[in-house]
Formats: sequence, structure tokens, C-alpha cells
Amino acid sequence: MFKKLLFATTASPTCDNAAKVAFDLELKWDAKLIILHVFGVPSRGYSPFVTDARTGEAEEPDADYADWVKEEMKNTYGELLEDSENSVIEAVVGAPHREILRMARKEKVDMIIMGAHTRQEDVGATRYRAIAGSTMQKVAKAARCPVVIISRPCTTCWKLFSNIVIGLDFSKASQYAFLWAYKLAKEVGARLHIFHACDISSGNFGEIQGQNEIEQEIAAARKKIETTYISKMKGYDNYDIEIWEGIPYVEILKFSREKQGDLIVMAHHTRDIEPEQALLGSTVEQVVLRAACPVASVNHPDKVADMDV
Amino acid sequence: MNQITLQNDGSIFESNKMVPGDSLMILGCQVELGQGYTLRSFFRMFEKYTLLVKLDAFVADCIQRYRECPKGHCTINDIDHLEFYKTVEMIGFPGEPRLEIYHTLCGVRGAETLEIKLFHLESLLDMPLKLGVLKHVIFGDKVDVFEFDTVFNLFEFIEGIIWELSFQGTPKECAL
Repeated sequence: MFKKLLFATTASPTCDNAAKVAFDLELKWDAKLIILHVFGVPSRGYSPFVTDARTGEAEEPDADYADWVKEEMKNTYGELLEDSENSVIEAVVGAPHREILRMARKEKVDMIIMGAHTRQEDVGATRYRAIAGSTMQKVAKAARCPVVIISRPCTTCWKLFSNIVIGLDFSKASQYAFLWAYKLAKEVGARLHIFHACDISSGNFGEIQGQNEIEQEIAAARKKIETTYISKMKGYDNYDIEIWEGIPYVEILKFSREKQGDLIVMAHHTRDIEPEQALLGSTVEQVVLRAACPVASVNHPDKVADMDV
Repeated sequence: MNQITLQNDGSIFESNKMVPGDSLMILGCQVELGQGYTLRSFFRMFEKYTLLVKLDAFVADCIQRYRECPKGHCTINDIDHLEFYKTVEMIGFPGEPRLEIYHTLCGVRGAETLEIKLFHLESLLDMPLKLGVLKHVIFGDKVDVFEFDTVFNLFEFIEGIIWELSFQGTPKECAL
């Protein structure tokens, strides 16, 4: 299922957790792993300078400089590279999200792996900032392949891979996310936990939904899941459906914790709009930061094109 | 600013009188912590003042996890105590200059601060909880941080702690 993986890294400790997962996946799937680091000063065009991570000084990048960066990356990931069988290190200059997407398209990768932040920060500090890293947001929004975001150490998830949680919001992208999660669950023999949260926080101001109304909503959502999604599974019975009411990101985190999810799969946004125009939904951002396991965001049908969409 | 004292048993006192359970006027009051205050005392407060549960989306979930923990001896040797502090951070580059103010709950061991998201709630509940200072960070220089005395109101205290606890939930097998 994964023949080529792209690990986009800042080559700093913030990506260490993601690095472990990326190298694990390479071995588990016998895939080719491209380790990509993008460096450069943000500018409107091609930047003639880069900022050296160690000294903070502006440097002019050339072929020698890029080789030196690759050498440094080899040192950073030395231990992980020892066990690696099929990985290449790439270092390029440019705007990170553009170069990551360019590389993903050129190499036709099956999955991009990233950390959630570009800087090591206290969780308190993320509160009033753009919550997730902006590069991650831009990549996740536009990538044609699934993007897996890892924000904390995960020792078991990919090796003892047994519970996949798919959070549905009934958008079109959500269908692609579902098909990808199903494909993955079938491939690794994992249980697929199909989850939807009825959002009871977004009613009109001051209006409180009655229990009957909520229960009707839950029943309707269950019916929709059964007709729209379950019918696509063609005899696969290792799944369960759960619908909870509440604030979606709180509920999906609780659900994943309860089911000991090894991976949460979600579409990017909560509204049914064109993926190119959709910002990473706030639900996904909140889940990415808080989830104990990796979160995969799927926005395009490319990697499930062989399935009956 | 009116001062309230949060007691170890979860009750809140203002001018030596216990605050009634449905009071929201105390949210803006300056917080003092009573003798022997721990994270468990924080959760006991929600049992006495149930209206406060509605202040944040994660309170109910945190309380549920608290109820699943043992009734005592929830401590860990890796930290000396928990500290709640405020940070004012000026940020200049990259991006537009901006000023951010936020609260953090962290573990303290000697002079070192430790993130609590990787510890389990059941190892933190009986750790002493103290109020810290205001840390002033200028343009990302986290080495020369200025520190000032400050006060916290009840809303900041509740919201800051719950925000931090919402990041917990690492499975035990991942914490090995």
C-alpha cells in the first residue's frame, strides 16, 4: 500500500517523533523513504540567502552548502539511518510547503509524514497562535496524498497496528478519508472504528437542543453511515459504528482514547467545500495537537482511485 | 481586586465566608491557594461548584478521567511540585510583530520546568500546586527571561489548567 513515503522534516528535535514513525513505516512496508528538508529565507521568489540553523547568520546557498546540510541530516538521523534499507536524503532551498508538495507530486509518493510544529513550544504557547504549524496546514490542504501528522512520541502505533479511528463529517473529502482508512484497515487487519460526532455546540444562540432532537440526529447519522459507507466495505466485518453528541474534537479525542486508537483518519474540513478553498478545519487542528496517536488527513481521492468511490 | 482562597477540600472562601455554589461573580477575583492545595483540590472544586464545569469544553472529560484515578497517593518522583504561571511573549520575526499572553501548568524539578502532557493524571493528582510568576519573553529569547510577581484570577486559573490537561491522554504503553 505504501511504496514511497515522504518525510518532510525541519531536521530539528521537533520532528524526532515523526522521524521514528517515518523510519518504522519504511521498514514495515518495505517502502522507499525520502527524507526532505527545505531551507531558505521566506521571500516572494527564490531567495538568494538561507538562514543557518546553527549560527543564525544569512548564508548564500550553493551545491556545497546543500551537501553540507545533507551531511548534517545524516548525523541527525544517524541512528535511524543505520537500520534503514531504502532511504534518500534531499535538501532543497525554497518555501517549505511548495517544495514539499513539489517533491510529493514529482515522486508520486503514497503518503507524507510531518511533525505538527516547526518550533518546539510549550502547549500553552499554542493557544493564541495559529494552532498547528502553517507549513503542515498548507501541505495537508493541498496534497494529493494522505498527510500523517505526528506530534508526540508513539512507540506502539505503527508496529502494533490494530485500531483505526475514522472521524466522519459526511463531506465529500470525508468519503475519500473513509475509503483510505478502510483500505488500510483491510491491508493490516485492523479494526475500523467508524465515528461521527453530532455537533450540539453550533445551535442558535441560547437555543438548547432537546434530547429527542439529538437522538433523531444520531439515528439519522447512523442510517447515513450504513447506507453511504458500510455498503462500500463489501463484506468486511471488522468494524463498529459509534455516534456521540458533543463538541466534535472533544468527542473524537475521547473516543480514540477509549478505543486505544493507533491512527485517527479525518478529512480536512467540516464543511462541504472545494478542498483547495478549505482551510484545515479547526476540528482537525485540535485533534492533531491533542491526539496521542498519529492523525492522517485525507483530502483527495487520488490514493483511493482504485476503489469504488 | 477581591481575593478568594481555594481550599484543599475544593471549597472557595471570600473574606472568611464560603462562596455559594452558583456564584459566577468570583471568576474575576484574585486567587490564593490554601494550605496543602493539590491538583486533586482543583477537581474537588468542580464537585462543589458545578456551574464552573461549563467554562471549558474539556472540563467534563478531565473530571471523568479524574474519577477513574485512585483516591490517594497519586504522586511522581520526577517532579517536586506543579506550578501555574503566566507568560507574556513579544514576537517579532518571522511574521507580524505581536504580543501573546498565556498561562501554563508545568512540573518543577529544582530549577527545571517539565511539560506535564506526558505524565498521567494519576501521577499528578496529589502533587502540590503552587502559583508562579509572570515570565516576560522578548523576541524568542528564552534564556534571559524576566520574572515579575503577578496575580491570577479564577477564570485564568481554571482555563489555563484545563487547557494544559486537555493535552494529556498518552496511552500507558506509549509512555514506556
